[in-house]
Amino acid sequence: MIQVVKNKNKNGKKWESAIRVLAFPAVVLAVYLILLILMPDKTILAFKSCGNIMRSLILPLGLVFIVMLLLNLFVKPAQVVRFMGTGAGVKGILLAIFAGLISAGPIYAWYPLLKDLKEKGAANSLLAIFLYNRAVKPFLLPIMIAYFGWIYVVSLTIFTIMASIAVGYLVGSLVKERAGAFL
Amino acid sequence: MGLSVKIVVASDGPDLDAQLGYKFGTSAYMIIVDPETFKFEAIPNPGASAHRGSGMQAVVLAISKEVDAVLTSYASPTIKRHLSDAGIIVITGLTGTVQQVVERYKQGEFERYELGAHRFTAMHDGISASTILHALQNTARQFANLLPVLIGVVLLIGLFNTFISEEALDSIFSGAAGLDTLWGACFGSILAGNPINSYIIGGELMDLGVSMFAVTSLIVAWVTVGLVQMPAEIAALGKKFALVRNAVCFVFAILVAIPTAIIFNKFAA
Repeated sequence: MIQVVKNKNKNGKKWESAIRVLAFPAVVLAVYLILLILMPDKTILAFKSCGNIMRSLILPLGLVFIVMLLLNLFVKPAQVVRFMGTGAGVKGILLAIFAGLISAGPIYAWYPLLKDLKEKGAANSLLAIFLYNRAVKPFLLPIMIAYFGWIYVVSLTIFTIMASIAVGYLVGSLVKERAGAFL
Repeated sequence: MGLSVKIVVASDGPDLDAQLGYKFGTSAYMIIVDPETFKFEAIPNPGASAHRGSGMQAVVLAISKEVDAVLTSYASPTIKRHLSDAGIIVITGLTGTVQQVVERYKQGEFERYELGAHRFTAMHDGISASTILHALQNTARQFANLLPVLIGVVLLIGLFNTFISEEALDSIFSGAAGLDTLWGACFGSILAGNPINSYIIGGELMDLGVSMFAVTSLIVAWVTVGLVQMPAEIAALGKKFALVRNAVCFVFAILVAIPTAIIFNKFAA
């Protein structure tokens, strides 16, 4: 009897989880269907634009998949806690800044990896620092310099890195860690 | 607590009289006890209400608290491996109250596990084909879980890219630096895609005479704030994290824009 109740709960949770995951794309698809009736030409253009985005995602997603696989193979939660937990100190901050600066591709390609790191013990503050430093794109700096000049780009880069530490501190303070261990 | 030896017991309640929980990952509480003095600290298990990854959160808790041993009714082989890799002894198959199992530990009843634990760790030093397969399955599952939300985000970005034109953006900026900076941060938060687009739009706005405060807040918010990507960020990192991070980053898009634009106006304009 207990087993039956447990299985029911498990199935219920699975459905709940599936609905939660599928609800958002379903709503967006519904918006597309409505727009397809109202403005078919523009909606088809939007669909094509999605195709382009998807194509540009293949490479970064592949890269993230490989990084995650290596993480799952070689990096243990104890190491993540040591290098990216709240006790990681200055080294953790520098690591998050560096990783944010060199990470390429759209941010949503990186979410699976960040989720994995968070579950393995990475601190919220360091995840926020990583995400903020993605505003600095070393490979795109020449283009930015062409538009705005090097004085602008250098000052924006310095202020962005400084701001990332403040953002990390605020997010770390305002969002309580799920694992109560990060005291 | 300042303990010399720490053990963590997965339990149903927050004190020593509580019964042991069924599973290490989903038990309601983690009781951290000094077996010598029976001083304890009860921590609600961060993974108790989680749908996925609950076991890993309990592992992280045990590692962060630097415990020496875990006492529980049941722990999955993966959980055991992660704990053993961190040098934590795992003792399973126990029943009774927290007090009873800690007393058994204190009396040295589990010493054979300590020897076994070292052997268990030694067995996992190499990487076998099954370990690679397991890691591949894990990675694929983690990806598959976020894929539907990711597709939703891409569809939404396609809509924004098509339905919001650069002309519409240009017409909104009024010329008042303060208000324009706010507008810049707002548009940067809504729009998404390759940052090069933000440089192009920013460059056009600059040519149209829009202040650098507004241009910079747009460029910074473009990457740091993501309203369109919010569902994916919530699914990956939690609702509170996503909301707080985006709100803080919105404010900082404006704060970063102020000194950057002042320097630009003084030295580069």
